[in-house]
Amino acid sequence: MSDGHAHSHDDHGHGEALPGTIGHVTPASTLIGVFLTLVVLTVITVAAAQVDVGRLNVVGALAIATVKGSIVALWFMHLRYDKRFNFFIMFGSVLFLLWMVGYILFDTKMYQHDMENYRHNKTVDGKPKPE
Amino acid sequence: MHFDTLHNQFQAGKLGMWLFLGQEVLFFAALFTAYAVYRGNHTEMFHYGQFFLNWQMGAANTIVLLFSSMTAAWSVRCAQLEQRKGLLLTIAVTWLCAATFMIIKYFEYTHKIHVGSVWGASFNIHDFSELPEKLQKLLTEQGITTTEAANAKLGKDGLGLGTFFAVYFCMTGLHGIHVLVGMGLYAWLFVRALKGSFNRKYYGAVDNIALYWHIVDLIWIFLFPLLYLIG
Repeated sequence: MSDGHAHSHDDHGHGEALPGTIGHVTPASTLIGVFLTLVVLTVITVAAAQVDVGRLNVVGALAIATVKGSIVALWFMHLRYDKRFNFFIMFGSVLFLLWMVGYILFDTKMYQHDMENYRHNKTVDGKPKPE
Repeated sequence: MHFDTLHNQFQAGKLGMWLFLGQEVLFFAALFTAYAVYRGNHTEMFHYGQFFLNWQMGAANTIVLLFSSMTAAWSVRCAQLEQRKGLLLTIAVTWLCAATFMIIKYFEYTHKIHVGSVWGASFNIHDFSELPEKLQKLLTEQGITTTEAANAKLGKDGLGLGTFFAVYFCMTGLHGIHVLVGMGLYAWLFVRALKGSFNRKYYGAVDNIALYWHIVDLIWIFLFPLLYLIG
């Protein structure tokens, strides 16, 4: 959001902000609502983990955590009302995190098979080690 | 004052904080990568490791941190509305939640050290009967009933749970250090609020420390299910 836009928040405090206040004033009801939503999502996370669906457990847990994290970032951290530049700093960091985890996982999975063979006293081709 | 307006000063401070938080995400990215690599290649290590973690304690800490995130956001609101008592109260409650988190963490850590479920080559179970009940049952079904046999199964020549606990202690430990730093920051904020340093045009410290506190909460939101719940 542009600088001018941020200024307009000065008189956008849901009617309760004092004149000349810097930034967006979050209503008390929103803060309580966000907290309760996060608690409900925590309960769902715990409940979902009790059901064993193999690999989908990780996917589900990460999906709910991502929703929770986004709620924290958008409301508690004011990213919804903040300058867009701040949003992109965070978004960029998360993107690089995914990139790093993704590529390293890809790489390690590719060579893990060779390493297992090596550990079992074989050559990397899977043939018995010549003695 | 080095800025044209207080508004500029506020936005510049905030930009600095967001850059720092972006760096924090990258900082933790290395540990999440370690987690992903070990989990991807040794799922069974995480399955067994999880028996040692008490999800009730992890869940309690999650709620404590979520609540403290709300009070931290509320302290920003109080500063904006110039509610002095409210500001002091929300800062104090946030600090107390952080302390509660660390107390629960202390009980978790001391129990793990007592049992011997610790990092790397130091992993060495002291007594079979002190293992978590579910794990004892599982091992007994496999014919493992002695401390030596359990260590052979779980230790470095077996499943290598020392690696799991290295990941566990690094991730929760670094996060715990952040909580301790947050406690220091909130103690400092409390003193400044007591002196009446903040008003609706000057509350950057309250806002930026709250942002820092939310990222600590955000990281825990991911650590809790990854370490305590999915096995």
